[in-house]
Amino acid sequence: MTFVEDNELTVRLELVGVVRRDHEGAEKEILCEISFSARGGEITAVIGPSGGGKSSLVRLINRLAEPSCGRIYLGETDIGSVDPLQLRRAVALVPQKPFMFEGSVLDNLQRPFVYRQQPPPGLDSEEVRRALLLARLDPSMGQRDARSLSLGEQQRVSLARALITRPRVLLLDEPTSALDRRNADALAATLRDICRSERLTVILVTHDLRLAGRVADYCLYLEAGRILEEGSAEQLLARPNSAELRRFLAEPSEQEV
Amino acid sequence: MESQTMVNLELLDLVLAYGLVLLAIALARLRRIGQEGQMLWASLRMVFQLFAVGYLLHFVFAVKSPLPVIAILLVMGAFSLQVMGGRIRHKMPHFYQVVGTSLFIGCGGVTFLFCTLVVRYSPWYDPRYLIPLAGMIIGNSMNGASLAAERLAAEMRERKDEVETALCLGASGRQASESAVRNAFRAALVPTVNTMAAMGIVSLPGMMTGQILSGTEPIIAVRYQIAIMCAITGAVSITAYLILLQGYRHYFNKAHQFDVE
Repeated sequence: MTFVEDNELTVRLELVGVVRRDHEGAEKEILCEISFSARGGEITAVIGPSGGGKSSLVRLINRLAEPSCGRIYLGETDIGSVDPLQLRRAVALVPQKPFMFEGSVLDNLQRPFVYRQQPPPGLDSEEVRRALLLARLDPSMGQRDARSLSLGEQQRVSLARALITRPRVLLLDEPTSALDRRNADALAATLRDICRSERLTVILVTHDLRLAGRVADYCLYLEAGRILEEGSAEQLLARPNSAELRRFLAEPSEQEV
Repeated sequence: MESQTMVNLELLDLVLAYGLVLLAIALARLRRIGQEGQMLWASLRMVFQLFAVGYLLHFVFAVKSPLPVIAILLVMGAFSLQVMGGRIRHKMPHFYQVVGTSLFIGCGGVTFLFCTLVVRYSPWYDPRYLIPLAGMIIGNSMNGASLAAERLAAEMRERKDEVETALCLGASGRQASESAVRNAFRAALVPTVNTMAAMGIVSLPGMMTGQILSGTEPIIAVRYQIAIMCAITGAVSITAYLILLQGYRHYFNKAHQFDVE
């Protein structure tokens, strides 16, 4: 199972009529009738205020949670029919808060292999070097204690850990929320490169408009569980149509967190 | 024969002893701690409950049939389950089912093996042995079980980020909850291990002192105490292990999705 489409190395992601309720039979919909398609090899940003359902959305794509209605396709495959453990190898999610397991950076990078009962790659292996370089971490970092790193470094280890098993889709949940502006800009550049070099399909959830503007090919505006507007990043950020998006763009507090 | 060596307590003696409780209540009243009513009520409950259980055992000893003995043990187990349910605030999913079956298998199994292989009395249901031995095993296992259950629920809540990160990296539910389960198991075993280490120095265990009071040779009482401590350790660890083995599963569904609260 590869999810790779004919003649292409990238994989398209499509959501059709996705609804998510808090729990079975609940009235309130966290996500209502979400349909969009993210082109393979591109960065699709989902922007919008906190509590609008952005995080819930990415959690559905690697099946950390299940949609109440609707379907999600990866290439031609309905992800509902795929074993979640298999799916999560192809669709990596980098959570908002980088969690470091006890031990060294290397221990953290080896985790995905341990979970799959594969021999973990060593410090000098091609996989480890590649993952560290992709996340712009110095190869000498491997032996450092992961929990002693700065938040920005932890965020990068978290990214490297997600990339080490060569996923096809990368889901990023507020990757810059813990970073200062300089680190956030550096991360933006990294993401751009990774997406290109790895031919990754990236879904980037953020309320950091600066980040979205710098890296996104396509943009969705999500508020109160609905997509209110979508289009190219330039168009959405520069010429918003809806009153909601205009208000969101004008609110400085949302952009600086 | 042994009971002949022991001084019998008359009702009047008990009244005299109860005077000490009254003294305690008087002291409480003097200092106005406002607990006198509760103290009186608790002491009366104690007297009533113990007499009730005494007459019940008197009756069960006389019947010489396994049924009432088994019934008493089941009531003990159910009661300990209910006590745990009341005491633990954050219960794991399917709490009563998980803890109930684990207590039943852990305590039942160890008690059975202990009585038939180690103590080897007959008949197997002899209440004089079975009730106190099973009672001690159940009582200690209850503590271990509630620690395991409480800790697992707490770990799962506190380690939400860790568990979800592991799931994102392709871990199964079992792999993702490994450290939570490990910590809960450790917590469940701590009191038993401490008790074993301190035994004989910090505390003279109740069963041993009871046997010595009733005229048993101290060395024999010590042998019993060692044997029962081993049984308790086994029962606590098996019960806690079974709780964790079943318990973590209920935090995940078939799709390895983590579902806390």
